[in-house]
Amino acid sequence: MKFTAEQIIDKSAKWVISFFIASAGLWLLAAALLAYCAAAKLTDPFFLSTFEFFTYGKVKIAQANAFVYGWGGNSIFAVSIWIIARLAQAELRGRFLLIASGIIWNVGITLGLMGILDGHMNAHEMLEMPREIWPLLFISYSVIASFIIVTHRSRSKHETIAPQWFILASLLWFPALFIIAWNGLEINPARGTLQAVLSMWFGQSLIWLWLTPFALGVAYYLIPAITGRPIDKYYLAIFGFWCIALLAPWSVVHHLEGGPVPMWIPAIGTVMSIAMIFPIAVASTNFHATAFKDIDIVWNNLPLRFVIFGTLSYTISSYIGVVFSLPAVAKLTQFSIINEFHFNQRVYGFFSMIVFGAVYHMLPRITGKDIPVGAKSFHFWTSALGVLMLLLAYLIGGLTHGVLAQQPSLDWASSVIASIRPYFLITQIAFVILGFSQLVFVINIWKVLFPNPFQFLNNSSNDSAKNAVA
Amino acid sequence: MNNIFKFSIGILSALAFAWLAFVIGARKQFGDLEPTSSILEDNGSIPEGAELFPKQIAGIAQQGAKEYISLGCTTCHTQQVRLEDSGFDVERGWGKRPSVARDYIFHEDITIGNTRVGPDLANIGLRSYSKEWLHQHLFEPQSLISESICPPSPFLYEEKDFDTNNAIKLKEDQIDKPRFIVPSLRANRIVSYLESLKQDYELPEMSFIQQDEEIIETSELSTVSESKNSDSNLSKLPTWLASQIASGKEIYMKAAPGGGLCFTCHQPTGLGLPGQFPPLAGSDWVLGDKERLIKISMHGLMGEIEVNGVKYNNVMAPPGIPPGSLTDQQIADVLTYIRNDWGNSASSVSPAEVANIRSTVKDRAPMQMWTSAELKSN
Repeated sequence: MKFTAEQIIDKSAKWVISFFIASAGLWLLAAALLAYCAAAKLTDPFFLSTFEFFTYGKVKIAQANAFVYGWGGNSIFAVSIWIIARLAQAELRGRFLLIASGIIWNVGITLGLMGILDGHMNAHEMLEMPREIWPLLFISYSVIASFIIVTHRSRSKHETIAPQWFILASLLWFPALFIIAWNGLEINPARGTLQAVLSMWFGQSLIWLWLTPFALGVAYYLIPAITGRPIDKYYLAIFGFWCIALLAPWSVVHHLEGGPVPMWIPAIGTVMSIAMIFPIAVASTNFHATAFKDIDIVWNNLPLRFVIFGTLSYTISSYIGVVFSLPAVAKLTQFSIINEFHFNQRVYGFFSMIVFGAVYHMLPRITGKDIPVGAKSFHFWTSALGVLMLLLAYLIGGLTHGVLAQQPSLDWASSVIASIRPYFLITQIAFVILGFSQLVFVINIWKVLFPNPFQFLNNSSNDSAKNAVA
Repeated sequence: MNNIFKFSIGILSALAFAWLAFVIGARKQFGDLEPTSSILEDNGSIPEGAELFPKQIAGIAQQGAKEYISLGCTTCHTQQVRLEDSGFDVERGWGKRPSVARDYIFHEDITIGNTRVGPDLANIGLRSYSKEWLHQHLFEPQSLISESICPPSPFLYEEKDFDTNNAIKLKEDQIDKPRFIVPSLRANRIVSYLESLKQDYELPEMSFIQQDEEIIETSELSTVSESKNSDSNLSKLPTWLASQIASGKEIYMKAAPGGGLCFTCHQPTGLGLPGQFPPLAGSDWVLGDKERLIKISMHGLMGEIEVNGVKYNNVMAPPGIPPGSLTDQQIADVLTYIRNDWGNSASSVSPAEVANIRSTVKDRAPMQMWTSAELKSN
């Protein structure tokens, strides 16, 4: 039997990718469960309130970390390994070390979340896991990223294209952000609100420079691969890429508007946020001008439908984000639950939807087995419904919250917060829907990855039977 | 773009620009702030012997900060009063002035936060909450603020049904079955930390914001008689509370349609008439459960009632001209007023609370007066 070049590459990466996708799926479920608990605690403050390890603050933070590092990290590894190896036309290197580091990464996050629930939380945004865990995570991340880059370096074609820039940049930016933040917060800690600037900068940049470029890279790969058309106005992609590289690290600090920091910090953040409309417009043109030339394929091809949902959500809510960074609007929404809208839009509406599409595109190719269309379709519609409910509730609830909070005569608990409680209930329902949807996703992928999980039991019993006969 | 090393250098130097500004530049600008005095000499030096601000934080409060972080309080509470242009934080009574970078130089971990599902805590130590109140709030926020969605922390306390050393009596509706809580060391640390949170000093870069004097002035004009004492109290209160009290006083004293006609029996002094009308000043009913007060203000009261141990037997028609005509807002204002004048000091009543209770008794006939026994049984 003769394999094509693609099949050889896929075979080389099969176990590594399976490992990362399977773990990503489990983290997704853990995050969904924690998200539901956190939402339930907002609608009923007495829900599980007697357990100290389960306070609202801890559950909420644990959920964000499980989502970003558990689900986000593992799925970034899985999908970048596959896309980078495919584009390099090279076999994956360092399979054993990749799996070993992957295990360390996942054990690290597990310990980190246990640390948060046990009361060893750090005060820095997205660095809340206990400080002892971070060296472990950093080393395992570096090993994984290095081998992906080694694979990229052994490519047969010298020229690189947009998906490679975005994915490699996201792989490189995360450790750079981490070193800057870790040095400024732990090794050589800054004094006073300087810490707050740095911690907010890290937390927001993590979304903008790690999750976002990765998901954009995947979209740049999948849209032409599925539609069979080159990216429309491809020459703009390089402009979009450098715009994100130069503007995004500045734009994220606009959340400090009016706070106890020098005024230039939020001011420059606002200016750069407005300038972000250029890279958003570029990505949107590239993706949608290509995909919507053939609307049928977007509708009928499920992986592509996921990806286009993600890119549309990226475009629309990034523009909303630009509006919310204007000082006149920012002072209304600054501390409201709009923040939840931004976070969930990034990680659910954009990043996760694109990863779902990528996984559905990739799995049949590496395992040779297909996922039933009905199951995929159910997953798509429940996800879409859940995400829309969640985002609308946070958006409308956030605006209500922000506007009422600006009326000094309204009592806080009985007027301002009481009027957004219905929205908390909607988010709770949305998290139930999303939880089911993600359960279907995980069952879908686990069934393909491990079609017969108890095979080894049968084998060994067959062996022993043979031995007994012999 | 094709050489991975050149590519890395490119994208990492793009990041380095931001790093230069936010880490190196910002550290140069405000990384070495020191305590200073409220007013500087003309040449910019600190006057000799002047008190320096901010002060060092007490050890127990620092430990409380650690507990505050570990329980995840930062998820819902900010600790920053924004500039006047950016929001109405000062008007809301969350601080005397916007927070500045220098306020935080002694905080080991910075918890300025980014979401306000709960109120801002930068000046919680300035608001007049007692230790007992803070403990009860930590134990079960809903026992003090019924609409609160703050999660209770019963694991920080030991529950008792008898009074012991250091125990705090829980405020509850049923008086016959009191409950007590004994705070743990951790609870005490958190409360000490909360009490330490106050920006009650002026700095050269930021002085206190004068609250909208117009509102307070007009509210003073509209009140009929004003003792010096309540005058100075009023100006210390947040604007919304001051205006609620002022409008409550107007209703209390008004004998024309829209007024409450309260003073004819309870007297402008709030002392009532011995043997006939019970006092409001220092009254256990006025300072007690709000629900009963709201009910009385809607439907009136008749029959025997015991106030501060003295029995009265009279009829109180539903307040208002015509009787029972007070709106939710008016009831809230007048109750807030009687709870905060003549030496009384209790939490305010909001129109939403009144509306809430009105909806629970909507089947009751408008003139069907309550009796003391009926109110106590609820």
